[in-house]
Amino acid sequence: MEHTITTQKVNFKVFRFNADEDYLPYYENYDMEVTSEEVVLDILNRIKWDHDGSFSYRRSCRHGICGACAIKVNGRATLACKESMNTMVEFFGNELTIEPLSIKRAVKDMIIDKGDFWEKHDAVKPYLISDVDEHPEHEHLVTPEEAEELNEADLCIQCGACHYACPVVEINEDFFGPAAFAKAYRFEADVRDDAHVQRLEALHQEKQGVWDCVKCMECAEVCPKDVDPISKITKLHNMLFKEGVATSNVATRHAVGFKHSIVKNGVLDEGGLVLYSEGPSIVKHIPVAFKMFTKGKIVPPWGITKSENLDEIQKLVKSSSTAKF
Amino acid sequence: MSIPIYTYDAVVVGAGLAGCAAARELQNAGKKVAVITKLHPLRSHSGAAQGGVNAAFSDKDSVELHEFDTVKGSDYLADQDAVEFMCSKAPETIRWAERMGAAFSRTADGKIAQRPFGGQSSPRACYAKDRTGLTLLQTIYEQAHRAGVKFWDEWYAADIIYKDGKVSGVVAFNIRDMQTVIFNAKSVMFATGGYARAYKINSNAHANTGDGLSIVARHGLPLEDMEFVQFHPSGLSGNGVLISEAARGEGGRLFNSKGERFMERYAPNAMELASRDVVSRAILNEIREGRGVGPRKDAVYIDVTHLGKDLIMERLPELRDLAITFLGLDMIKEPILISATAHYSMGGIPVNIAGNVRKNNDELVEGFYAAGECACVSVHGANRLGANSVLEALLFGRFVGKTMVSEIDNIELRKATPEDAQRALDEMQFILENNGSETITGLREELQQCMTANAGAFRTKETLQVAIDKVKELHKRFKNIRINDKSKVFNTELQEAIEFGHMLDYSAFIVESAIARNESRGAHYREDYESRDDENFLKHTMAYMDENGDITLDYMKVVLGKHELKARNY
Repeated sequence: MEHTITTQKVNFKVFRFNADEDYLPYYENYDMEVTSEEVVLDILNRIKWDHDGSFSYRRSCRHGICGACAIKVNGRATLACKESMNTMVEFFGNELTIEPLSIKRAVKDMIIDKGDFWEKHDAVKPYLISDVDEHPEHEHLVTPEEAEELNEADLCIQCGACHYACPVVEINEDFFGPAAFAKAYRFEADVRDDAHVQRLEALHQEKQGVWDCVKCMECAEVCPKDVDPISKITKLHNMLFKEGVATSNVATRHAVGFKHSIVKNGVLDEGGLVLYSEGPSIVKHIPVAFKMFTKGKIVPPWGITKSENLDEIQKLVKSSSTAKF
Repeated sequence: MSIPIYTYDAVVVGAGLAGCAAARELQNAGKKVAVITKLHPLRSHSGAAQGGVNAAFSDKDSVELHEFDTVKGSDYLADQDAVEFMCSKAPETIRWAERMGAAFSRTADGKIAQRPFGGQSSPRACYAKDRTGLTLLQTIYEQAHRAGVKFWDEWYAADIIYKDGKVSGVVAFNIRDMQTVIFNAKSVMFATGGYARAYKINSNAHANTGDGLSIVARHGLPLEDMEFVQFHPSGLSGNGVLISEAARGEGGRLFNSKGERFMERYAPNAMELASRDVVSRAILNEIREGRGVGPRKDAVYIDVTHLGKDLIMERLPELRDLAITFLGLDMIKEPILISATAHYSMGGIPVNIAGNVRKNNDELVEGFYAAGECACVSVHGANRLGANSVLEALLFGRFVGKTMVSEIDNIELRKATPEDAQRALDEMQFILENNGSETITGLREELQQCMTANAGAFRTKETLQVAIDKVKELHKRFKNIRINDKSKVFNTELQEAIEFGHMLDYSAFIVESAIARNESRGAHYREDYESRDDENFLKHTMAYMDENGDITLDYMKVVLGKHELKARNY
């Protein structure tokens, strides 16, 4: 196959802001001929080098391994040095809006204050907890299967794309966020780590912990390294039960109630699930439940039809359950 | 502006493998240590190392073989006492990293897996898929952080305080708001990385502007063996981004436009796994003789398709991803386009094995240390073996940290005064306020083009003279710069200008050292002197810059040892 280079015209609408000088941010327009060899970072460089030297952004390695240059293109978080312009044009057309990961944290152009991100990163004990032999004669023996348990969580480069794409981070300042959870999982899954329960306890706490994840999948969607943070969060949910860290709260009861409902009926009894998770505070849902009931959106517990294959489902649940509730 | 003065036992500049490893030693010994980095530690370029890290611990291998390969690879310019030290400590160092949490790939019986690399007698490169540096950087940073090391990230180290043969601190500014601070310390360590960004086509991060080298040189201290810049055989066509040696280690083959496996003509035994300088020159020679491929005919093919999808996805997933992103080519299905790229700096700040910076051939600087790519021990001589750089950074970083711990109590703190920051403040003020007509972008482009064309993998007296003249011209034009950004918040244009000043200064060392070395050795290949000349040039270059920017050269003896001088064939 002969490899060719193509070019096309693209208009960039670029977020500009200097916290020291500007009351409000503004957008600057740049028209450029873009080649098929270029990535988004090349465009940032060209704006700085050919148009306005004051344009500022973080960047270093330029090949997707240092994690410095995450920004948003047309609202979608991405790592600038690893996103080919061809893909961007394919996704969004020839009008592209370049913005920082989080506008409310902008300090200068693409540069944001990432203080909250690093604070959350530090809060999950992001290191192997083990007595380090300073002069070892042998390595720990770790089988390839055990090594695979990390599930690529060690590939996370702390770019922050998932953190600032997460809707829970946006509204709940205590929430650790998907990157911190992936990091916590990286050590929880490591057979060499001695501190499983110690780290898990913080992850179980309401507001900051894994139970406040709303499972929107946005983190998996934007991760430039395919770390898939949501799958790590799910694994942490299981670990919390497995290690006996999970205590009764609305989120764990939701998980337990879900399973009970499936075991009992083979299908989900949504009303029963809410009752199970919320307990007495279910009264606050009565007005909504009543409306839903009158519109036929929910079935009362006595109206649930059991699945025809209940036997088989119960067997499946039994064989796939790893955690005791 | 008032200048705060902070007092520390030790200040480390740079937070890659060497800096973090040293800082952890200092912290664990109860010393008060600050680490200054212009990035966040996890953005350091150590993390970009892909293929592996050497340690001779398999049954078929030996420390002595590792030494031999390193010395031969260095074209006999490495100091053999330093090489012996590194190779003998390598197994412990790698296992120590593993104990701290590094996520190495494993053999079926659970040991650290190893792969073949260029110039090596045995599969010796321990690896973590094709992201070995990433797991090592994360691990050493995590454990330094766990130990309680204080990191000053996004702070730019602008100068050292050097007087009367002694270093007593660092002048740095906060990139966020330009607040300048003096870090007054008993000891200072530089772990500031390499200098290949002086070249247009290079594999280095934007940050690798070699600041540390010229900061040292501007105080009249020497730089060693600066002419030795490694060109890695496999950078992606067009931008030089690295495709690890692991691609050849796992069996990748090189082809030219005629479909010839051309390494047969250059290194019939080792083929694609000859030493890096040999393979790079072979590739560049194919291209300049008209057998290049790709849209610009500036590349050759590397083909790994015969390895199959499973092996590529298991061992080279990042490399595959890079080729898809930058070239739109999938190495599972097709060969990809590569060419030589400026990659690694063998030269640097001269140090002894313990890490003390040399003032000249005979004396050391008090309270000043260096390790990693910015330092020249020298374990790499004229050409570094693949997978020895990560080893050097981690191993020497750690041991230099130990040296500092042992020497710190015998060093008296020389109190800093605000005047110690004057040089750095003058430099910043000049760049901010100078109202000339040259742009940094323009000057840098000219420097990089010139260095690649005239001081690259092939050199002659004539091309090097062109480079010397160009560097001098750019020095003059640098006095006539103007930057747009006058603000104090993340003034990245000011930073690029300071960095360019450093690139200019150390480029003068590269070209002046190269033009005086009338021989070909390792990565330094003079087409007008094609063979190695041990009689006249088995010696380290020690170059000094005076206040006018003129370079004078001196030479230092190479430490020889049990590996005797031989012709170097692969």
